[in-house]
Amino acid sequence: MTSSAEAAGFWILAPIAVIAALGLLFARKAVHAALGVALVMVILGIFYIMQNADFLGVVQVFVYTGAVMMLFLFVLMLVGVDSSDSVVETIKGQRWASLLLVVGLAGLLFFTIGATVVDEKTVQAGIDKVVATNADPGNITGVAELIFGQYVWIFEVTSALLITAALGAMVLAHRERLTPRITQAEWAAKRVRDNRDVAGLPAPGVYARHNAVDTPALLPDGTPSSKSVSRVLVARDQVATTDSLRDVERHMEREIEEGGAK
Amino acid sequence: MNSYVPILFMLGLGFAFAALSVFTSLVVGPKRYNRAKLEAYECGIQPTPQAAGGGRVPIKYYLTAMLFIIFDIESVFLYPFAVAFNKLGLFALVEMVLFILTVFIAYAYVWRRGGLEWD
Amino acid sequence: MSLALTAYGMVGGLPALAPTENPTADFSDTPLWLALVKAVGVFVYLLISTLLVIWFERRVIGRMQQRPGPNRNGPFGLLQTLADGMKAMLKEDITPAKAEKVIYTLAPMITATMAFVAFAIIPLGGTVWMFGHQTPLQVTDVPVAVLLVLAVASVGVYGIILAGWSSGSTYPLLGGLRSTAQVISYEIAMGLSLVAIFLYSGSMSTSAIVSAQSSLWYILPAFFSFAVYLITMVGETNRLPFDLAEGEGELTGGFHTEYSSMRFAMFFLGEYVNMFTVSALATTLFLGGWQAPPFISAINDNMFGGGWWGLLWFTAKLWLFMFIFVWLRGSLPRVRYDQFMRFGWKFLIPITLAWVVAVAFIRGAQLGFLGDSKLTFAGRELSVATVVIVSIVAVIALAAAWIWDDRRAQRAAAEDEAPPEEIDPFEDGYPVPPLPGQRLVEPRPRLAAEPVLSTASSSSAGGSGASTTLKEETHG
Repeated sequence: MTSSAEAAGFWILAPIAVIAALGLLFARKAVHAALGVALVMVILGIFYIMQNADFLGVVQVFVYTGAVMMLFLFVLMLVGVDSSDSVVETIKGQRWASLLLVVGLAGLLFFTIGATVVDEKTVQAGIDKVVATNADPGNITGVAELIFGQYVWIFEVTSALLITAALGAMVLAHRERLTPRITQAEWAAKRVRDNRDVAGLPAPGVYARHNAVDTPALLPDGTPSSKSVSRVLVARDQVATTDSLRDVERHMEREIEEGGAK
Repeated sequence: MNSYVPILFMLGLGFAFAALSVFTSLVVGPKRYNRAKLEAYECGIQPTPQAAGGGRVPIKYYLTAMLFIIFDIESVFLYPFAVAFNKLGLFALVEMVLFILTVFIAYAYVWRRGGLEWD
Repeated sequence: MSLALTAYGMVGGLPALAPTENPTADFSDTPLWLALVKAVGVFVYLLISTLLVIWFERRVIGRMQQRPGPNRNGPFGLLQTLADGMKAMLKEDITPAKAEKVIYTLAPMITATMAFVAFAIIPLGGTVWMFGHQTPLQVTDVPVAVLLVLAVASVGVYGIILAGWSSGSTYPLLGGLRSTAQVISYEIAMGLSLVAIFLYSGSMSTSAIVSAQSSLWYILPAFFSFAVYLITMVGETNRLPFDLAEGEGELTGGFHTEYSSMRFAMFFLGEYVNMFTVSALATTLFLGGWQAPPFISAINDNMFGGGWWGLLWFTAKLWLFMFIFVWLRGSLPRVRYDQFMRFGWKFLIPITLAWVVAVAFIRGAQLGFLGDSKLTFAGRELSVATVVIVSIVAVIALAAAWIWDDRRAQRAAAEDEAPPEEIDPFEDGYPVPPLPGQRLVEPRPRLAAEPVLSTASSSSAGGSGASTTLKEETHG
């Protein structure tokens, strides 16, 4: 029924897939869980290919590992690096309800799979049919004939599903702009029109001993310019003072004077 | 299925090379501890304890990923259509045009609402 | 009409389709050990090519910038990359304290590994004799080969996003996100542009696509796809002018800011091997793969076409694309991120989709889905449906281009209103230089300002004179 190579591949990959799937449940960090799922998806793709479903296998990797998992990663990263699961029940009775549903699903799966007749002859006939299709019109053509023939209605409905997805994403994630965006050119024009900081704000750290972004630039009279430091750093109270540098400066000036006097 | 095995060879070779290089440099390279060296990179200031926003991603990217999925699935349907085009006939062409038009509604909606603006 | 005819001529010359979509290369005489030998061969080919291309890039850019480029290590500086690689290996491999250790190490490995995988399905030459077996010069071919390349590329993106995330630092996180959003945005346009090729070839297997191009390279009938692919392949590989993920002015090194030593070198290697992969795919899909160029293939019944010769033509075409990469880097500045995303989402994707639909209609007309009636024009038999469809597409394209151009002209006209003909050289008290073609208002003696002004405003034409008067009064 199955070739030995296929069996070997299955017994190597299936445990990895199961471990990765368990990783989803037990991984501490959300991103590790997502990576576990990505691994499961890749291995499922390989299983499909091993079952002679080339197109399906590659599409599994292409769509699930590529697109869906990327979305998943982005969502996980929305919640932050070290977010961990909260065990607080947000909806009352949620735990019992989900337990009930899990038991239901397990029962359904158990009986459905148990009721399947694994008849060697039928299975072999199915495999032969797939192999014959792959050889003559080809695997992709076979899939295409099903999509655009037998399942055409489902295919068309899929497009409606995609519209729903776009709508949902816009409703959840899109933020309307209240004011029109000011472009770079408009900013420049505004600066000239208002005649303030026409040449741009002063750059930070133009002091000879230090050029970090938290060091304010010095004005000609030696006072630090508050405009030259990012207001984020000011808010975080991270701005370096120039006092120590000024001591150095005085020291140097003294040295120069001494040198001139000699 | 046999024709996929050489791809695994390539995968193995690439991974072996990458792992070996990284491992070799870990062994061969010097190790001099310096606390400042292990801190996150910053432009001369004290690095913040975490990456920007606590390592969180702007929600803008969620929209990009979602749109990517939509078009990805559209192109996944386009591939078998293109490959089997000569066997499918006019009916499939009409179907495909309808499908593309429907997905295009989603695209136009997102465009109109300003979902494709970046700033 | 003449345009439509040329287009028809271009697409009319396509060879008949193969009966199935399966690969045409015959791997029946290739035992597994030989496949392994070929895989090692391709691997070495890629490594040597990478060593060469980095040197090539630095030398060519050097020439473009009036300087010699690296020329010390080995003849012509050829060993420069090797020396750099050795040096990278002997450097300290720093893992930041905040980094997620395992993923931080895994990310560069994913990038490097995935870059190599896709090359397994690229045909490098025709059928050759190797160790007593007759085998194609290609590691393997599968019915879904091109899709496999895209799938592998989408797994490769993980390397970037995980590197950015696991570094535990601000710049890598931002660079990784940008880079990922960029790659996935351009992957769509790339994938859509390839649909036209599949419509023509009726297959996704690389060897079948190459053999379908024996009489006409797809760069002609799918010229627009080629242009889109060329743009997207630069976006996919994060190269200039689209290397926003590494915009050093704003993001330091992007996703690999925290990386050093060999782990950094793996990203570097991955980038260059990816360049080779996308170029190889472009060669295979648009430039006839390993087949000899048209005039050379005509010599002596294609004596320079088969077997190992294919490797030469393939390499030549591959390096043509590498040169384009270097050329772009040498001549174009980096685009801004919002411009880049706007170009991808608002221009490339819709227009590629429209192009795919147009090709589907042209192809449908050719295959006789839209009627079989023929007409004879200039001694050639043309199908009415094809002519009609090609004309419609051409008309729509021309109309769109016309409207586009008209709008742009209007916008440009609205932007630069004609400057006033006369200009006061001392307006608002500041010296103002005149634009070309502007006349200077005659300077008036200061003392006689009041009486002279009134006569000047009445003599000068229209409102501009009046406004000048006003301004004169305010600062005077």
